[in-house]
Formats: sequence, C-alpha cells, structure tokens
Amino acid sequence: SLYRERERARAGEEQRENPKQTPCCQHRLKPRVLKELQLGAGLQALSLKGKRGLGAIFQDQVVNTRQYLEHVKDSTTGTQGRVVKLFTNHFRVTSRPELLTYKYNIDYMPEIEDGKVRTDLLCQHKHVIGECHIFDGNSLLLPHKLQNRWGKKIVKVTIEFCSELKPTSLDCLRYYNILFRKILKMMDLKQVGRNYYNENEATEFLNHKLVIWPGYSTSILEYETSITLCADVNHKLLRMQTAYDLIMHVDNKSQRKDAKEISKELVGSIVFTKYNNRTYRVDAINWEETPRSTFKKSGGEEITFVDYYKEQQHGLVVTDLTQPLLVSKGKWKKSQQDTPHEPIMLVPELCYLTGLTDEMRKDYRVMRDLAMHTRLDPEKRQHELRRFMNIVQNAQRELQLWDLKFDPNFVSFSGRIMKEVRILQGSRAVRPFQSDWSKETRSGPLLNVKSLDHWLVLYPRRNYGAALSLLQSLRKVTPTMGIAMRDAKMLEVNDTVQSYTTILENHVSSKTQMVISFLLSFKVLCVLSSDRKDLYDGIKKYLCVNCPIPSQCVVARTLDKPQTLMTIATKIAQQMNCKMGGALWKVEIGLRNAMFVGIDCFHDIVNRRKSIAGFVSSVNQELTQWFSQCVFQEAGQELVSGLKACLEAALKLWYKHNLFLPQSIIVYRDGVGDGQLQALIEHEVPQIRSSLKSNGFLSIHVTSDTRFAMLFFLSENKLTCCIPVLCDSRYDFFIVSQSVKDGTVTPTHYNVIHDTVHFTPDGIQCLTYRLCHMYYNLSGVIRVPAPCHYAHKLAYLVGQSIHQEPHYSLASRLFYL
Amino acid sequence: MEKNSMEEFQRSTVPRKNVIEFRPPLYKQRYFFVKDIVNQYKPKKVADLGCGNATLLCMLKFHSCVQELVGVDLLMDRLLDWNSDKLSPSIGDHLGPRDLDLSIVLYRGSAVEKDSRLLGFDLITCIELIEHLDSEDLAKFPEVVFGYFSPGMVVISTPNSDFNPLFPASTFRNSDHKFEWNQTQFQHWASNVAKLYSYTVEFTGVGAPPPWAKHVGYCTQIGIFKKKQPDPGSWILAKPTGSRVSEPEEHAYQVVFTASFPSLQQKHFLLFVLCTEVLKEVEAIRQKYVWIMKRKESSEPESEEDTDSGLVRRPGLFLTDAQVAQIEKSPKPYSVGKRFYVPLKRLIGYPKVNRLVADVSTLRTLLAEGIPMRMNRAHTSVQIDLDPYDYPHDYR
Repeated sequence: SLYRERERARAGEEQRENPKQTPCCQHRLKPRVLKELQLGAGLQALSLKGKRGLGAIFQDQVVNTRQYLEHVKDSTTGTQGRVVKLFTNHFRVTSRPELLTYKYNIDYMPEIEDGKVRTDLLCQHKHVIGECHIFDGNSLLLPHKLQNRWGKKIVKVTIEFCSELKPTSLDCLRYYNILFRKILKMMDLKQVGRNYYNENEATEFLNHKLVIWPGYSTSILEYETSITLCADVNHKLLRMQTAYDLIMHVDNKSQRKDAKEISKELVGSIVFTKYNNRTYRVDAINWEETPRSTFKKSGGEEITFVDYYKEQQHGLVVTDLTQPLLVSKGKWKKSQQDTPHEPIMLVPELCYLTGLTDEMRKDYRVMRDLAMHTRLDPEKRQHELRRFMNIVQNAQRELQLWDLKFDPNFVSFSGRIMKEVRILQGSRAVRPFQSDWSKETRSGPLLNVKSLDHWLVLYPRRNYGAALSLLQSLRKVTPTMGIAMRDAKMLEVNDTVQSYTTILENHVSSKTQMVISFLLSFKVLCVLSSDRKDLYDGIKKYLCVNCPIPSQCVVARTLDKPQTLMTIATKIAQQMNCKMGGALWKVEIGLRNAMFVGIDCFHDIVNRRKSIAGFVSSVNQELTQWFSQCVFQEAGQELVSGLKACLEAALKLWYKHNLFLPQSIIVYRDGVGDGQLQALIEHEVPQIRSSLKSNGFLSIHVTSDTRFAMLFFLSENKLTCCIPVLCDSRYDFFIVSQSVKDGTVTPTHYNVIHDTVHFTPDGIQCLTYRLCHMYYNLSGVIRVPAPCHYAHKLAYLVGQSIHQEPHYSLASRLFYL
Repeated sequence: MEKNSMEEFQRSTVPRKNVIEFRPPLYKQRYFFVKDIVNQYKPKKVADLGCGNATLLCMLKFHSCVQELVGVDLLMDRLLDWNSDKLSPSIGDHLGPRDLDLSIVLYRGSAVEKDSRLLGFDLITCIELIEHLDSEDLAKFPEVVFGYFSPGMVVISTPNSDFNPLFPASTFRNSDHKFEWNQTQFQHWASNVAKLYSYTVEFTGVGAPPPWAKHVGYCTQIGIFKKKQPDPGSWILAKPTGSRVSEPEEHAYQVVFTASFPSLQQKHFLLFVLCTEVLKEVEAIRQKYVWIMKRKESSEPESEEDTDSGLVRRPGLFLTDAQVAQIEKSPKPYSVGKRFYVPLKRLIGYPKVNRLVADVSTLRTLLAEGIPMRMNRAHTSVQIDLDPYDYPHDYR
C-alpha cells in the first residue's frame, strides 16, 4: 500500500471517502464532502420548514474571531516573499447595493406537500406576482413590493410579506443560487445532483463501457463584502453496467459469487435508476425477495415489482424474475437518524452503477484514458471556465431583471512566494528541487536510524520471488541510508488472515521472553498478493491491538517493475525506519519549546460506524517523534469531546522527554467547516485552554478548504505562496504548499481562531509552511501541516481497518504511516 | 387545461357525508385510460391538446411505440419551470437508449387554431379540454381537430354533469369551465361531429358512480373517435398519413420546447450499446471458459457443466434450447497465449447482441469502428486478455 500512498499524498488527495461513494470522477477529489453533509444536517434546525428539505437555509455563520486577536488589529497581511499575481475560479457578481428585494412567505391551506403542485398553484397567479420571481418552494423573492393580498376558494394561497433584503444579504444568496440554476437549465445543461453537465459533449469510452459528461459545479457565495460566483469544471462518469451485471458476474473460482462477496461490492455504492433519474445508496441486498414480491403503493394496493415497472410506470421489462432486490434506506441525515422510515426496494436490473470501482482504479488503462479527459492543466481549466462565463453572459436578460451582473474576469489576488525551506538530514542540508527531495534523502544517512535486527517477512507462496527481490533491494539501499539490517526470518503463509495471525502467534511468542525489550525493533513485513482490504485490515488489527509490533504491508504488484524497484525499496526502508521510531529529516521550525498538535476526524458514513478523532502531538523539539491518541465518538460527530484528557497525556509525555513543559502549544484542527466554527469555539477551545498551565500560550488554527473551494491557476509550475484574505472578521490566509505536475492546485485555507502567542502574520505563515515539510511518508511538501496529516492517517487507519484503540506501546511511533 | 381541478381537492374541504372518493385520483385514471389506448393501438404520433403541465406526455414518453409526442397549450410558461426536465432525455435515456427515435415538441397555441405541424397524427387527445372553450371556440373545434388535423383517432374527455349532484357543491367543477354537459348532451354533440367528419365514436368513461347511483354514469365521460377506413374504391379519401402535400404550411403555434431522445436508430448510440453488450458478453464467456479450463486442469470429475452447452449457459442468460443449439453450432471461443477470442459468428447468437444487429457483417463493421483495439487482425473475433489483472508488462 506504500506505493499507492505516495501517489495519494502527492496528488494532495486523501482517501477519506469510500471510493464507491463518489459517483463523480474528478481529478481534485473533494475529501470533505462528508463534513459538508454533516454540516447541512446541523443547520437543518435553522430552516423555515425543514421537513420538505426544500429551501433549507444554508447560512454560514460569520464568526468574528478576529476581535479577540489584539495583535493583528491593524493588519493580517504578511510581507515576506516575492509578490505574484494569482487568478482564482471566482467571478465577481455585481449589483446595485441600494436595490432592495422583497421576501414573502407562501402558505397553503390545506397544506400541499408536492413542490410541483405548490409552484403550479402559485404560478396561476402570475398576474399578481409578475414574471420575475424566484420561488424556492416556501418563500418567494420579488424585485418589487406587492400591493395587495388575496385568497382563493379552494386552496388558499397566502402570500405574507416577510422582509426586505439587500443584495448582499445572506438570505439573498439562496435565491440567487436558484436563479442561477434556472439560467444553467436554459443553457441546456443537464442537472445531476448539484452539478450541471453537457450531454452534447459526452465522451464515450467504448473499451471500458464508460461515458464522461463534462460539466460545471457552481455556487454563489458571499466573499469579502460582495458576492462571487465560484465555478469549476467537473466531470460525470457514467457506467453502462447495472447492479444485475455485477450480481451475475461469474467468478473465476466458483460458479457464482456468494452473497457475502456481492454485498461487499454493492453495499455502499450509489446506483442510478433510469426511470426516474434518481440515485440511491445501496444499504443491503435482500435475497429473500424477488421482482415477483409485492409492495404497497401509496394508494394502499399491493403490486408486484414486475407489474409496477411494466404497467404502472414505464413499460420497463424485468427479465430475470429470480434476482434479489436492493435495499436503500434513503439519504442519511443526522437529524433523521432516529425517525424510522420505510426502506426503498430496487430491482438490480434497472439500477445503473455509478462511480469508479476499486477494480477500475487498479486498471491503469481505464485510469489513463480517464485522466486524459478529466485532468486539466491550469490553462485548459481557465479556458473551459472562460467559455462557461461566455455562455452565462448570454443569459443577461434574466439577470438584468434582478440587476445582477457577472463579471467575466477571474477574481485575482496578489500572493507571495515564500523562501524555500532547508531540509536537514544529519549533518547535511538539502535544498528541495521542485518541492521534492526524494533523491537527496536516499544518498546519505538518515537523521535517526533504527537498526533492523529481528524481523519477519511473511509472504504467500506465489510471492516468494517478490519477497526475495525486495529483500535484495533493501540490502542494496539500506547501507547508504545508514540502516543496519540483519537477515530477516522468512515465513510462508497462506493468503488468509487466519494463516497470518497463526504464524505470527507462533513466531512472536517463541521469542517473547527473550526479546521483550526488542519487541519494538521487531519488525514484520508482509508481502500481500493483492491489495485485499480484509487481509490488510486483519493483519493491521492483529499487529496494532493484539500483538503490537510495527508492521509494513507491501502489495506484490508494486514490486513487479524492475525499473522502480529501488525507489520502492528505499521508500519501504524509510517508512519502516519511521515506524520503528527513527527519523528521516528535520526542518528548522524557528520556534523553541513549543508543542504541536494535530486533530482530525474520520467518519465512516458507509457503514455508519463510530467516528474516530485522531489526536497527534509532538514529543521532542525536532518534531521527529509524535504521540498519538484516538477518541471514539458517535457516528458523524465532528467535534471532539475528550480533548482535555488527550492534551494532558500529551503534555505529560512532552515533560518526560524534555523535563519541562512547553512554553506554547500550537494546535492545527483539520476539517471543520465554517458552519461549525462557532460550535468549535464553544466546545473544543475551552477544553484545550483548561488543560493549559498558567504560563502556557496557545495558538489554534483551523485548516479547511470547504468554504471557498477556491482554485488557483498558476502559470509557474512550482509555487509556494500564501495569500492574505481580506475579511474583517477573521484572521486567515491561504497557503499553496505542494506543487503539482498536472492538474490545478487547491489552496489550503487557514483560519487563526485563538492566539496568545502573538505570532506576526509572517511568523505564523512561515511556521505553517515549514510544518508542511515534516510528513515522513513523502519526501516532499504536502498540502497541510504534518500534524494534521498524521492525525488524519491515524484516524483513517483506526476507522477503516482496526476499529479498536491501538495498543499503548505503539502510541509514540508513527505506526499508522 | 386545468387537470388538478376541483374534484381532487373536494374531499378534504367538504363534509364527510357521501364523500365521493376516487382511487387512484380521477385525473390519474384519465391518464391511465389514455395509456391503455396507446398500449392497445400503438400509435406512432400522439398529440395532447390542452396538455397543461404535460403530465400525460411525461407518462407517454415511456411507450416504446410512440415516436413523436406533441403537447399544445395556451399557457406554457409554468410548465417549463418544473416539467421540462422530465420531458428531456435523462442520463438513463443515454445509458439505455430507446429502440426507436422519440421527439417531443411543445407548442403554445390554441386547439381551435390550425397548424400544419399537427397533420398526420395517429392519436390526438383532448383531456378535459372542451369544457374550457366558449361557444364560439367550441364551434370551431371540430373543424380544426377532425376536419383539418384529421388524426386516426381522437380521445375527448369532459365532466359528466349527471354526476354533479353527488358532489356537495352545486357549481361547476372548475371556475374556468364554460359548460358541463350531461351524458345526452355530450353524446349528441360527439355523434354529430363523428358523422360529419366520417369517424365512428364509442362512449365510455372513468370514475364509476357509486352502486346507489348507477344511472348517473361515469364522473368523466370519454368519447373515442376512430377515423373510418377509406373505401378501397374511393381514392380521393385515401390520403397518405404523414403530410398532406396539397395543404399549405400553416404555423400558428409557437414552439416552446423540443427534445430528441437517444435511440438505437441513431448510429452513435447503437455503437455504444452494441460495444457494451458485446464486451459484457465476451467477458462473461471468458470467465466461464477460464473456470472450465481450471476444472479440467484440476481433473475434477467431468460434469454436464464442462460440455459446450456448459460454456454457453450461465446464470442470468436466458436462452431457449434452440438458441443454445444455434450457439453450440457456431465457432467456439479459444485462447492463444494470454489472449482470449470469441468469434463474431458465435456472438451473433446471443440474444442481447442479436437484438441490436441482425448479421455478422454489420456486427463486424460496427465493432471495427467502435472497439478496433478489441478485434483480432482479421476482424473475425473479439479479443480480450485471458486474465484481465495479469498485465505486469503493460504497466510502464
């Protein structure tokens, strides 16, 4: 899995989401979708009439965090570095500020649920409300004030004046988004989910049974003091495969896959039903029922699924009457988790699969062809967006009614390119070349070396060759890095979790009495024949909980290519060194006696398992050792409760290593959306502050990329920069730390919410940037500070594979790399 | 015009006594009635005059026989707010294209205006339309619909006022109704119209009366008009359906919406569906082939599964014995080295492929265009990797 890992970290993407959950094929994955989901749920309470889900107000709470930060009262802008001009994927929306719009609440007597009927009834009164209106199902926005009220005999439509709105008011944004969607529809784009696609420019991949629709994702946001349109190019991936194809897929080993295997592939995936153009998440497969089973229609009469699709609705013919049915529990909403509702049954034959499967991801031919179409370099992306804005300009008439104008030019900023950071490896200083120093680290001794004395290599029989060649390569690459390596004990296993654990049990226990103190330098290397998740999970669980030994899993296929074997062996050697407590390099941070903390959460929405909060804190001054703790929480819970205990334990360990307490604590909190900021300040910040001794200083930073979803089009291939954001109520900035060879970079947004250390803007920006160099799984710069990414990796491993608290003896090692 | 009219809402606003309740609601029953007509007569071209919010069109677009759907209404704006999405082809229509083309056109216009684009239809429906016409328009209506459009079939529905006493309110069912006819009035009017324009008419309806008031008839009365087949002797009447060349083009209606659906008649989509089906089939055959090969290697006792029909049959593939025999006769799939080949002559025997193309030469031409990389050199077989995950050297 190491090889995969490297690629992930490089692309700056995180595999927080189950791949099955992304029906969209995008180069820039949006890892924070889950958090947004949850944010939405939290805000449901704010909506006027949440029950229909129509017109829920998604209002970002603007939390004024800057008012308490005295030292940056005058300016939050840094000055260091060379100034450059940057373009973003935002377009300014202008309107006359004095133009008021009028909001009306619409009520129906008797209550009408159907949004279509609601609109229909309201539109019958066009002579009253006029052509120019925006209706979201609950409330109506008009550019003029209504003169009178009226009612109607049968269904009483009440139009009640609610408020006057300024064009920049947050409430208005919602209506502008509705209006903009109307315009996109007029442009003949097809709505799928929240995005719009152009079917006329579809690309078919006949060899892969795939189609890609190009499209756009848009959103109108408040930015600074005005409104901007944020637009991005997006691709929809469609598959010509139904769930039935997958169920019927004959396995090589057996005549037909068993129910368990099929469930594993299908459950959690999103299917698309042709007849109503909707998507469903598969939650289970019901093997007892068939399309011949009956269900109750809304009218109460019983009908079989076959008849329903054939006669009642769409003339669709179900050919296999023995297939099982898929069960979907509907959209998961936190606010609704206690209310029971009927699951939806679906006929597999009528369900198209969406998104990429792991199998397709593994097929390099598929990925190569897709990447060619979906990975856009900055110029191409800019070109596409310009084309899009040109089309939007054609809809000026609709916009003029509301006195809105979209500026076709990209919003631009000035940013600063920061100084390169020196990487210190032992006595050597390395200057990264294009934000990458993998070549340099290989050619000299590592910062802190652990020798490999007693270690096991486990391999299935058919991967014996791969295991041997890996060992040979390790023997070649380790001397230059300064790693002393004794011969490993080679053990053959079968490809089952059981076999791995029995072998481990035997060989670890026979040595336990002798080498108990050596246990942590006792290293297990597993060569897996495939990246089967259950096997990986089983081994990791055993070696993290039952028998705590650092372990390294290697997928045999990554060793297939002779030309990359040495690179991979180097990576594996470095990674093993880290996992045993060694260190690869360090960076001059410029701050003494400070403890750094990273916090991130992992949510397993697919299996609705408990959420894991990863808490990682630095142990030494060089930031080469990190202490890790986990907090298990309710499914979907983002805010962490046990922070006080975590921090106290972290401080204790810091004290043990340094013999004094840190002067300051710098916390990086990842993955908090703006809507949760207030809650974070109320819930997490006091926990952290309360565990602080009187002389300690604290600085808390929230790292996120949810709000602006901003892209930078950089003409320079390599760039590291940070940009101040001119927002009066907050102290925030962007940093683009990683460099990408293709695609477009998403900057990371940092928001300082608490600071008694009194960092200068330059100071904090520089510090944050340097921390992006400290992630040991990649000899390069990553997009978030290392503690954040360590916390993420920890939460991910525990949440995805182990599902239990890792053994304490591993806590101060980077075992989760 | 107004389809969600009073009768649907009535039950919640009137006293409980003697409530007439229709299940499914009456407006749905009317639509299902039209669907049944379409199922029975399989019209190619269907127009709905007074289509309202186009709910009926949304339902009819699923009928495979229909190739042209037209909706006409005076008010078209509110329709576009909601239903245009439902009338446009969706992702599903792209993934599983229809067999035959379908185009949908919506016009803003009146049922008493002539427009030559409505000539030559097989079925024209006027659901709850005529009662909205004033006496002047009502007089023009037969000449336009029956005389000018002159479709193969007309379905007209209208409220039956004989039924009204069963409703507590004594007014018309909708405030826009200009009249509501009883059974005699409607049948009288309809019979005259039919006679004048050489149609036959039969009467039926939806919304049966309660058992204690059988005499009032259906709540909605419906007349089904069929054009009389022209006398073989009189050539004058035997106009070709389609376009009447002699008529001048008249465009009184304004186009507000058009949509054209993907179908297998369009080569682009045929190619896409064909390549997908072929690859799915080849993949399934390969798996069965490998499975049988492995069983033979492990020298497990021979079973019926190992014969050639074992190779043909698999779960999810429904074949008649004749089809199995047909496939068995054709050249067998084979493997050479790491490649697996299925001859086109064999593929054509599989119903899902055969449904799309009738003969091997068309199949060859299309596959050579769509997936040339997956064809052997002679273009007689489709080739894939014997083990799709064994491609170490393919990796660069």
